[in-house]
Amino acid sequence: MIAPSEVPSVPVLEVRHLAKRFGGLWALRDVSFSVSEGEILGVIGPNGAGKSTLVNLITGHARPTTGQVLIGGQDVTGQRPWVIAHDRVARTFQIVKPFRGLTVRENVAIGAMHGNERDRSVRDSLATADELLDLVGIAKHANAAPMQLSVADARRLELAKALATRPRLLLIDEVMAGLRHHEIESAVELIHRLRDAGITVVAVEHVMKAIVSVSDRILVLHHGSILTLGSPREVLSDPRVIEAYLGHRYVKRRSE
Amino acid sequence: MSSRGPLSAAPTPGPMADILRGRARSRQGLFVGWIRALTPANSWPALAGLLVFAAMLALQQLIEPGTQRLLTSVFLFVALAQAWNIIGGYTGYASFGQVAFFGLGAYTVAVLMNNYHVSFWAALPLAVLVGVVFAVAIGLPLLRLRGHYFAIATLGAAEGAREVINNLTSVTGGGGGITIPTFGSDAPTPYFGKPGFYLAFLVLAAVSVVVAAVLARSRFGYAMVAVHEDEDAAGAVGINTTVVKVVAFGVSAAIVACAGAFYAFQQIEFYPTDVFDASFTVLMVIMVMIGGSGSVVGPLAGAVGLQLLSQFLRVNLGNFNQLIFGAIIVLVVVFFPQGVVTYLRDAWRTRQFSILDNVRRYRL
Repeated sequence: MIAPSEVPSVPVLEVRHLAKRFGGLWALRDVSFSVSEGEILGVIGPNGAGKSTLVNLITGHARPTTGQVLIGGQDVTGQRPWVIAHDRVARTFQIVKPFRGLTVRENVAIGAMHGNERDRSVRDSLATADELLDLVGIAKHANAAPMQLSVADARRLELAKALATRPRLLLIDEVMAGLRHHEIESAVELIHRLRDAGITVVAVEHVMKAIVSVSDRILVLHHGSILTLGSPREVLSDPRVIEAYLGHRYVKRRSE
Repeated sequence: MSSRGPLSAAPTPGPMADILRGRARSRQGLFVGWIRALTPANSWPALAGLLVFAAMLALQQLIEPGTQRLLTSVFLFVALAQAWNIIGGYTGYASFGQVAFFGLGAYTVAVLMNNYHVSFWAALPLAVLVGVVFAVAIGLPLLRLRGHYFAIATLGAAEGAREVINNLTSVTGGGGGITIPTFGSDAPTPYFGKPGFYLAFLVLAAVSVVVAAVLARSRFGYAMVAVHEDEDAAGAVGINTTVVKVVAFGVSAAIVACAGAFYAFQQIEFYPTDVFDASFTVLMVIMVMIGGSGSVVGPLAGAVGLQLLSQFLRVNLGNFNQLIFGAIIVLVVVFFPQGVVTYLRDAWRTRQFSILDNVRRYRL
């Protein structure tokens, strides 16, 4: 296995000293890291750690107070979301955002119409959408209204919408929260398949167990700062991580 | 669970990679693709539209002047409702200032014909241009506002436009109104007369329906709906939401300004209060809401239905016609909040025709 630092190419994503302040609160403070091509980076942290803010800053859905975001070595700090999308960066939303008035198929087709490698006609986009719905496993709901989908299927729809833009970097924001065990397993498998097809993945998760099994490296956010960044094993054995997640008492009890 | 591959793995070739990267599809021209995609099932709206258009052409020979005038006003409102629906229905930005484009279109034609002796057909594209330029100019700042704020801001912009026309007395005649020379050697373009304007407004209505239908089925149409539903999500899939909003506003303004231009010529003489009358905007909104927004048939049915109903009440009810008209609008909005056409379409699809259920569904 090649360590990320030895990969000679420019990182797909690089974040430098990123910070975001909401009024008096620093949602994110001095966050720097980079993601290499083909890597799966897990981002974890307790509620309010700044995970979603991090994704929003990368995809242009919020502007950083300070710091830079580089996609493929190019500074895209403060660019609008569609510019970032056309740099082949796609995302899902933690609170799913389907286009409610359209069918599931049309929801996905929109990404194929307006993302990268655009289909020239609506008809081609709908064909692309069908392939992607099949890929994420909700082909049978193609003609349904998105509001009729289960939580798990609505997340799959988010994923298909993002994939339809043909990203090289995919940011998934809590795609596994609230899923059942077997649903998490299939989500994990799907993420591996995406990586095998050449997509770099940044997976923000609250569910520790799921993230450990998918990620090459894990970034732990706590109160808006990086607590640690390393392999899943290193991160899991870091007492600071355990403390951040489970509190002092758990750490004390374990050490007794 | 698959094992982890090397970090810089080359993409595995195969169908999965093909699907995710996209592969070249047929590169035929847009319209060729459309025509090939036509089937009996999806081409009937176009055929029905052609039939109605032909029927309206034939009907002109059979009807008396009064009916002809009524239908001419129906055509005008079909165009205006379709135009409003593009920005207010599909894109979800309820503009209460569309009459500004109507008035600007009207005054552009009147000023050019009256002051500069420009022919109507030369003035018409300039009127559309003025409408579009004004739409882009106010759209760029105002389309950043949402909901009520956008509605109020556009209302204000329309009032402002009227005041400007009102006070440019040397050019527009101000509050004293303006007259288009229509007869004799003074007329840059001979007056169309009733049959001519019937035809003009019929064509305008048809063009607006076709524009709306083509837009709705295009990639741009899906972008408008996406902007309507969720701008953050639309941006995330690569839609330039600013461009979509401004273009939708501009297309809407172009149709409205065109309608205003024909209206000015038809009226010959008018005042700023006539062509900047906010009740034009209100009627556009009501017609779209009653018919059903976000579809092509909804505004069409709303405009035809309300204009005919209004005329019927005026003829048959005398003094109380406005009261009854208002009451009917209130009842329709209460029982069919999503619009009559949308209700019928959904009811037909789900085979659930209960109006009470419908009210419950939309009035939580």
